[in-house]
Amino acid sequence: MKHIIISIFICFNCIVCFAQLKADNENQSDSSKPYALVAGGSKGIGYGIAEALAKRGYNLILIARHLDTLQFVKNKLQTKYPIHVEILAIDLSFDSSAYVIAKWCTDRKIHLKVLCNVAGLGGANDYLSFPLDSLRYMVSLNIESCMALSLTLLPLLEKNTPSYILNVASMAGFAPIPIKNIYSATKSAVVFFSYSLRYQLEDKHISVSCLCPGPVFTKPEIVKDTKAKLGWFGMKMALDPGTVGEYAIKKTFKKKLIIVPGTLAKISSSIIRFLPRRWVVSLYGKAGKKKSK
Amino acid sequence: MSWALVAGGSKGIGFSIAEALAKRKYNLLLVARNHDDLILAKKTLEKTYPVEVETLTCDLSLTESTIKIHDWCNDKGCKVNILCNVAGSGGSGDFPELPVNEVSTMLRTNLESTIALSTILIPQLKTNAPSYILNVGSLAGFAPILIKSVYASAKSAVHSFSYSLRYILKPDKISVSCLCPGPVFTKPSIVNETMKQMGWLGKHMALEPGLVGELAIRGLLRRKMIIVPGKLARLISYILRILPDQFIAYLIYSFRK
Repeated sequence: MKHIIISIFICFNCIVCFAQLKADNENQSDSSKPYALVAGGSKGIGYGIAEALAKRGYNLILIARHLDTLQFVKNKLQTKYPIHVEILAIDLSFDSSAYVIAKWCTDRKIHLKVLCNVAGLGGANDYLSFPLDSLRYMVSLNIESCMALSLTLLPLLEKNTPSYILNVASMAGFAPIPIKNIYSATKSAVVFFSYSLRYQLEDKHISVSCLCPGPVFTKPEIVKDTKAKLGWFGMKMALDPGTVGEYAIKKTFKKKLIIVPGTLAKISSSIIRFLPRRWVVSLYGKAGKKKSK
Repeated sequence: MSWALVAGGSKGIGFSIAEALAKRKYNLLLVARNHDDLILAKKTLEKTYPVEVETLTCDLSLTESTIKIHDWCNDKGCKVNILCNVAGSGGSGDFPELPVNEVSTMLRTNLESTIALSTILIPQLKTNAPSYILNVGSLAGFAPILIKSVYASAKSAVHSFSYSLRYILKPDKISVSCLCPGPVFTKPSIVNETMKQMGWLGKHMALEPGLVGELAIRGLLRRKMIIVPGKLARLISYILRILPDQFIAYLIYSFRK
């Protein structure tokens, strides 16, 4: 009898200890919270989006080329919000990047719920003066990386449904801009990709959205450029990256397909989409020439 | 005598474009992946038409191909004044099931090679002006009618690129056109797929590659921007361009279900 009581007591103790240990573990790491991956999340719109996600209590995985900017952003976000930020310094234009990122996430059993493809390069002005390699770089960064990441991370997103994919295109994706030839071509590809993907993944409960902002003041050059080409209209239409990120995330969670931040941008994007493309091209072309004169 | 370069000119629409050019007495530079198909195309064309045909076997999805083609043209010393970017893969597989490397191959053949070849040959086309560039898009590039994400998005990028390029190259007397065919019966698998997915409409809209090539070259030499072969396909292209994209995607999807 005594033996039985002792053994029951020991068993009970073991169970209690184990439960406590488990609870401790859960408290220590907040990996139980869902994760959001932001490709190109160290600066500009990407950072705006990352912050909007942090505000909503998502843990973050930020991917960008430079480790020092990533480290800086990580510290900033972790002190401001009660979240966990992982960083990965990877050039997304490489073929292998998508595999590396997907493997990294699967190995750590990341509870991935949101994927934001923000990385992109917007070379302004004259594509004929660009070397061929930088044109290819633009294609692979703007569209190929977006497709590859969506594809490789799909199994993880499927596991944690309802989940979200946010692709970042541009208003340039609605109609071709001659002076930003390759940029607007790749962005139009992103828009079309998002359309199709949304319907392909609807049954899997993954919502796909596409952010198409007008001018966003992420760099001082862009401010100057917008002022010169689009005048007061451009200045009125432009937004800062923080507002764009916040708006984008709000609408992504509402499962909106095409997201255009800003009232003026919304109106002009509807007009652009309605007008024949040829008109828009020559309109854009004339606006582009204004600057070079 | 002037030369025309047809990338992807050994089979299907590419071959018929080559034939339409041969009929107009253009000498031909054919580039494709499959050596045997190229030799066959060369023999057929040289037998029927009084033209010279040169061939180069290379895979357009590879980065180095562009430079290779450019050097090859220079070595031959031919005056190229027509460039046709026809190479493309239709993608039998759909997005979620496609392996990643195939996605990038598709993007590279459909989009990147078009951009790269046009860019590298522009100086040569400029010196031989008036010249012509023909890019091959698709009806699916106007609006998201195909729920084939990689193919449709690459084609829409080709459209956007062609519009911009036409504007940019206007002062240089280089005319850029974009061929946007509906279904073209180049392979038996396409015939089956079209019949299954579009039924009556597909049957009436579909064209033979020979006709598409002829109409494409006629449009190209008349400097038309968008070339949609076939009356029904043209009508549909107008509707697609007028209606909002999002609405079309929604319609197509609910129809499929």
